[in-house]
Amino acid sequence: MEPSKAPQELLRVDKLRFYFGAHQVLKDVELPIWGNSITSLIGPSGCGKTTLLRCFNRMHDLYPNNHYEGRILMEGRNILDKNEDLIELRSQLGMVFQKPTPFPMSVYDNIAYGLKLKKITNKPLVRELVEKALRQANLWEEVKDRLRENALGLSGGQQQRLSIARSLAVSPAVLLFDEATSALDPISSAKIEEMMVELKKQVTMVVVTHNMQQAARVSDYTALMWLGELVEHGETTEIFTRPKKKMTERYVAGHFG
Amino acid sequence: MNTKKTANLIFFLMTGFGAASLVFMTAGILVTLVVESWPGIERFGVIKFLLSRDWNYAKESFGAARPLTGAILAAVMAVAMATPVALGVAIFLTELCPAKLKGSVALAIELLAAIPSVIYGLWGLFVLAPFLEKYFQPLVGKVLGDVPWIGGYFQTKMAGGLNLVTASMILGVMILPFIASLAREGFAQVPEALKESAYGLGATRWETIRAVVWPSAQKAVMGGIIMATGRALGETMAVAYVIGNRHGALESLFSPYVTVTSVIANEFNEAGPIQMSALFYLTLALFLANLLILSLAKRLLRRT
Amino acid sequence: MRTSKPHWGRVWRNRVALTLATLSAVFGLALLFIILYDILRHGLSALSLDLLTKDPAGPMSGGGLKGAFLGQGLLTLVATLVGAPLGILAGTYLAEYGRDKKISKVILSICDLAMSLPSIVVGVFVYSLLVKPLGGFNGWAGVVALAIIMIPLVTRTTESLLSMVPWTLREAALALGSSYHVVIIKIVYRKAASGILTGVLLAIARVAGETAPLMFTSFNNNHFEFSLSRPVASVTVTVFQYAGSPYATWIDQAWAAALVVTAVVLFLNIIGRMAVKWRG
Repeated sequence: MEPSKAPQELLRVDKLRFYFGAHQVLKDVELPIWGNSITSLIGPSGCGKTTLLRCFNRMHDLYPNNHYEGRILMEGRNILDKNEDLIELRSQLGMVFQKPTPFPMSVYDNIAYGLKLKKITNKPLVRELVEKALRQANLWEEVKDRLRENALGLSGGQQQRLSIARSLAVSPAVLLFDEATSALDPISSAKIEEMMVELKKQVTMVVVTHNMQQAARVSDYTALMWLGELVEHGETTEIFTRPKKKMTERYVAGHFG
Repeated sequence: MNTKKTANLIFFLMTGFGAASLVFMTAGILVTLVVESWPGIERFGVIKFLLSRDWNYAKESFGAARPLTGAILAAVMAVAMATPVALGVAIFLTELCPAKLKGSVALAIELLAAIPSVIYGLWGLFVLAPFLEKYFQPLVGKVLGDVPWIGGYFQTKMAGGLNLVTASMILGVMILPFIASLAREGFAQVPEALKESAYGLGATRWETIRAVVWPSAQKAVMGGIIMATGRALGETMAVAYVIGNRHGALESLFSPYVTVTSVIANEFNEAGPIQMSALFYLTLALFLANLLILSLAKRLLRRT
Repeated sequence: MRTSKPHWGRVWRNRVALTLATLSAVFGLALLFIILYDILRHGLSALSLDLLTKDPAGPMSGGGLKGAFLGQGLLTLVATLVGAPLGILAGTYLAEYGRDKKISKVILSICDLAMSLPSIVVGVFVYSLLVKPLGGFNGWAGVVALAIIMIPLVTRTTESLLSMVPWTLREAALALGSSYHVVIIKIVYRKAASGILTGVLLAIARVAGETAPLMFTSFNNNHFEFSLSRPVASVTVTVFQYAGSPYATWIDQAWAAALVVTAVVLFLNIIGRMAVKWRG
């Protein structure tokens, strides 16, 4: 079931359990995330895929009464450790949300915001990095003349690519997509899918999606979750054409979920 | 990294300090009022103070019955006068007003509440009071003055136009926008589909308002009326002059009288020790009345 | 439209009711214009440059209310410098760090109570806090009284505006590796800035016309000194005192001063409310 080529394992989810208060949401999840690839997390609503995604950048720590058991290993260290520096961690694992999240400032400042957090303030360098990030997000051509305009004036799809560019600017190792195209029209979401495939050279992506065609189109690996458990994980082609488990076969065929 | 954590902690503590200041100042008000009224509470008791009609500087005997009666009467009359008009305004604004005019009409009505209360006091003293004395009081006296039992309350027995009715009219103008805007909020919550289904049955506009809008908005309006009563009870400067500030039996609605706030405003800076404590005691009563009214209104408005 | 007979009773009841509603609105508007007209009529006659630039003189010899205008400005300004930041911080606590916590519900209720307190209660409180112990009326007491009125107003606006900022915006910034205070200051405040500014403006408009909290605190003063440790004159208290005086010149000055105060307060209100509309 592990892929035959030998990519590097960037993250390893190891016996992960997660609780909202007393309620266990993730049950002994085991999952490798391979570098420079796209891994899709699929499954019916409430299966825990978004919860799992938000474990990677410890988003759950923003709210009280949550706790983790088990480990998520990144380059040998457990990022669920109590002493993990969350601010540093989150700049290594960027996140793109369901709805675009343009900050109330100009297009340029949106991208520069993350750089400023990393104390990158040298003007020519910032300019260069902003352009690079916008190019990576396939947005440069559309906004290069409107960099000083308020980001709220962009279209929904542009705003989402701006959010992605903002995350890319701080050169994260991983980008986490939480249903990032579900609020967009088909053309905008196609643009983002195209961009994701391009981006594989630089970053590893983990994608939560409701849209099975999208998982099949863009991802190299797919993991199916159900009721907080990982049902099956493997190369996308395997999962969609030769699943090992009955449940996976029924899910990808659209029998439930 | 640690500096970031420290900075966040410092900002957290600053906001906490802001929130705490709100708590301390409110608690401080209550505690201070209790402490300052303590001599009065010891001397006059609670029930006795509330029921006593005394306001005798020589005997140093002070009671709250008259200021309370005055304040409640003025507030109730104000609300009674303002509510129908306020509801009319709210209906006009939500159901009748052309969209173009809506903003300006609403703004103009709101501005009535923005005029400082001391200005209302000035206007009441020099414009409204003389006007009422000349035209309104004789008319009411003629019409209601001879009614058995209660006729006396509508006769003018003292000249000047400074009396409960004048005070309540000014209060009415001041709280009118307040009731109107809460009623509007209530009316606006009624879903458009609900109204359309009433029209669909062939109801007239008024019937739709009666059948659909009013029942849904009733609670909000009641809440607004109660809040407005609270405002009227605590309003000071508009009342301080036009009420006449006379500690005496209430013989007529057109006679000078006192309210809680008029007594405090007019006597605070020249009060002897016991009288001062009695004034603090009155303020405490006002604070508690306000608390009671607020919780009542909140129950109706269900706002957090 | 209908083939059946029109229901005359129903139609007429409808007309009468709607006419009454319209008349109510007309009446409300008329009240505003009558009051404004009276203020203008009485105020304009005594309004002059002297009113703003001269010190008070005896009831027979003119003079102005320079000190009262400067004093009210000073009190309002310092009260805003104290009250607005505290209110914004408190609102920030309620909407951000204390969000969904029980304690913020309690504090929010306390805020509503503070907001609904009659302003004379605040005046009486500050008298006991800062006038009696210090042995006399002083400007600081006036400042504190106005700030106490301002804080809950600003807290409420800030809290509701910050709560309206979508939560995912904060998560997005946090996910970039921002610490929370940076998110609040750089992103949330920015999103809510114009609203908070409007809230502060309306709060200033509210305290700028207050009288009751100043009567027992900063009281009045015939001369203006740039000192808050002495009594400070204010237009509103002066209006109240002059209106009760037997001198025609003082009463005229009271009207003129009232005209200025009303103009300033209504102007601030209109600006503030227009700003609310522009934001949509």
